[in-house]
Amino acid sequence: MLSMLLLPAIFMLLASFKLQSVRKLLPFTSLAILLPIVELFRLPKPYSLWGDYLVANDLNTYILLVSSIVGIGVTLALLTLDKHVDVTPKAIQSFYRFFALFWIGLIFSILANHMGIFWIGLEMATLSTVYMIKTSSYPSADKEAWNYMIVGAIAISLVLFGIILIYASAKPVLGEDAMLFDALLSKAHKINSPFLFEMGFAITSMGFFIKMGFFPMNLWLANIERASFYPIAALFSGILESAVIAGFFRFSQIADIINRSHLLGFVFVYTILTIFIVSFLIFRAKDFMRIFSLSGIEHMALIALFWVSGGTFAALLHFGAHAFLKPALFLSTGVLESQGRYQITGALKGYSGISGKLFYLLVSLFMLGIISLPPSPMFFSELYGFGAMVDMAKDSHHLIAMIGAVTLLLILLSIIFYRFVQLYQSMKYEGKTVEKRVYFSEVLALSLFAISLIVLLSPSSIHFLRSIV
Amino acid sequence: MVEFFIGIFLATLITALFTTRLYRLLLWYSLNSMSLGLLALILGGQFEDRAMIISGIITLIVKAMGIPYFLKYLSERLSLNRQISPNIKIQHSIILIPAILVFTFYLAEPISHMVQGNSNYVAISISSLFLSLLLMMEHTNIAPKIIGFLSMENALFLLGTTATGGMPMLVELGIFFDLLMAIVVVNLLLKNEEEVEGDA
Repeated sequence: MLSMLLLPAIFMLLASFKLQSVRKLLPFTSLAILLPIVELFRLPKPYSLWGDYLVANDLNTYILLVSSIVGIGVTLALLTLDKHVDVTPKAIQSFYRFFALFWIGLIFSILANHMGIFWIGLEMATLSTVYMIKTSSYPSADKEAWNYMIVGAIAISLVLFGIILIYASAKPVLGEDAMLFDALLSKAHKINSPFLFEMGFAITSMGFFIKMGFFPMNLWLANIERASFYPIAALFSGILESAVIAGFFRFSQIADIINRSHLLGFVFVYTILTIFIVSFLIFRAKDFMRIFSLSGIEHMALIALFWVSGGTFAALLHFGAHAFLKPALFLSTGVLESQGRYQITGALKGYSGISGKLFYLLVSLFMLGIISLPPSPMFFSELYGFGAMVDMAKDSHHLIAMIGAVTLLLILLSIIFYRFVQLYQSMKYEGKTVEKRVYFSEVLALSLFAISLIVLLSPSSIHFLRSIV
Repeated sequence: MVEFFIGIFLATLITALFTTRLYRLLLWYSLNSMSLGLLALILGGQFEDRAMIISGIITLIVKAMGIPYFLKYLSERLSLNRQISPNIKIQHSIILIPAILVFTFYLAEPISHMVQGNSNYVAISISSLFLSLLLMMEHTNIAPKIIGFLSMENALFLLGTTATGGMPMLVELGIFFDLLMAIVVVNLLLKNEEEVEGDA
């Protein structure tokens, strides 16, 4: 099964050296990654792919499935990259080479039951994205690629630093098994140095939070996504951040057993502070990429918040919705920005033909879906998530504080809501009508995301998400 | 002997922070990695840990010799600027570096009874991590930033060796693999920059 998962990515890597027309093959190779993942769903869990090192469970299979669907969408949109931006065939070939390495790293990272392998996969994925950023011809791409290399390396080093401390805290009890997530989870209460574990967890989480653009690194990711080609931003938000948040899910499950109140305090302060800053940054942002990128940070913060509050279903639903909506919006910027990178007015005007009309409809729905207007899955996930937060506080003495926190969050989310509605109105009603070209593969990619969102809301998906944790 | 090599490790890193020439910086990095490799060999021998001995040998070959040589070759071929003046003045660094060292010893104090080995080693590992970050921050040139990143990997290796009595072999090898990939990416980024400048 593991070879089936890795073969398409390895094929993609080899093909990128030989074939000039490699990009036409890539949607098929991405589809080939999806097939063994679907098969993984049918197998009894936990399913060992490589001893104790790689173990598929419901949580990581779901994350991998979502990521592979995003991968198909991105490769479809990549078919017409050169129609929207200035890119050389050589750069595209290099891009695919690193895209394949990115996939291999992610498969290892998402399916890892071993903290070390999780880190190695994440580092591999991070390093491969550095060169993908560099393929962009924008003048700032060069600087931002180095920026990503340096800050990404610091973030990932913090993750390793934390892992070493966690390993040191659990090794006296578990031996070399202290590297295994499932062993740590089942024997967390036996760890006799909880302080060391918590220090490790806090440092690891800070590494994850830097990678996701949380406080105080809010603009770091947005600037990088602005400087790179739009499919990179889609990969970041739909796949790379999924692997990062998957890591956070697993580490926080163990931290929850060690000391729940410390975990809650740490994550609540960090995420609320992040959303506070991001909401005002979104209000001030003046281009699609930065707005979408900052909105991505807001959603990742909400997912982390819901997860630690016990709203695991809400977190996973929000995660799936974000993973489909955000790449769809990033991919649509190729067309939306055809009049200029800061030209928001009239961006939703000038679409003709079936492809154009469908593009207009889908982008409008995605724009409104991302701010949680019903029936967007985000509406339901936020409803359940905030409900879980209040439910958690009911049994404690902190109910008033929790209601205050939820109210503050709703006020901050309303600022983002206002900005997106303003943006949508500006795109639809202001500015001149200029004819825009939409390609079939782009509409196909957006349709794939729309169908995935509908499936996410189906009763069987909801039932599956509820059963994961 | 372990104390001696840890001392050399820290001393080379501190010296690297004051260096203003690229090749000298590569030399300090090489010595830093060499002390780390020898340390792993000694500790591996003491604990009879084969994985740690293999890691030590790989460190000596890859980090102490291979990477510095490759970076020197790259800087010659791409004519990188060899004058690398730090942004932080030396008189400020002289105050800052001991402050970092004292702070990390204070930080590591509560965990001193929780780690298997000597807690001072853990404090030195953490301070090395901060000093590597400082090396990355105090330079605007790319080459010292890369050395800072590589020194950070060394600090983490030291932490893994001293705080846990050695990480599993698979993880050590994976970290080496990622390090090599980082070097490949750095090479490609620098090459690409050269091509862009050539076209211009």
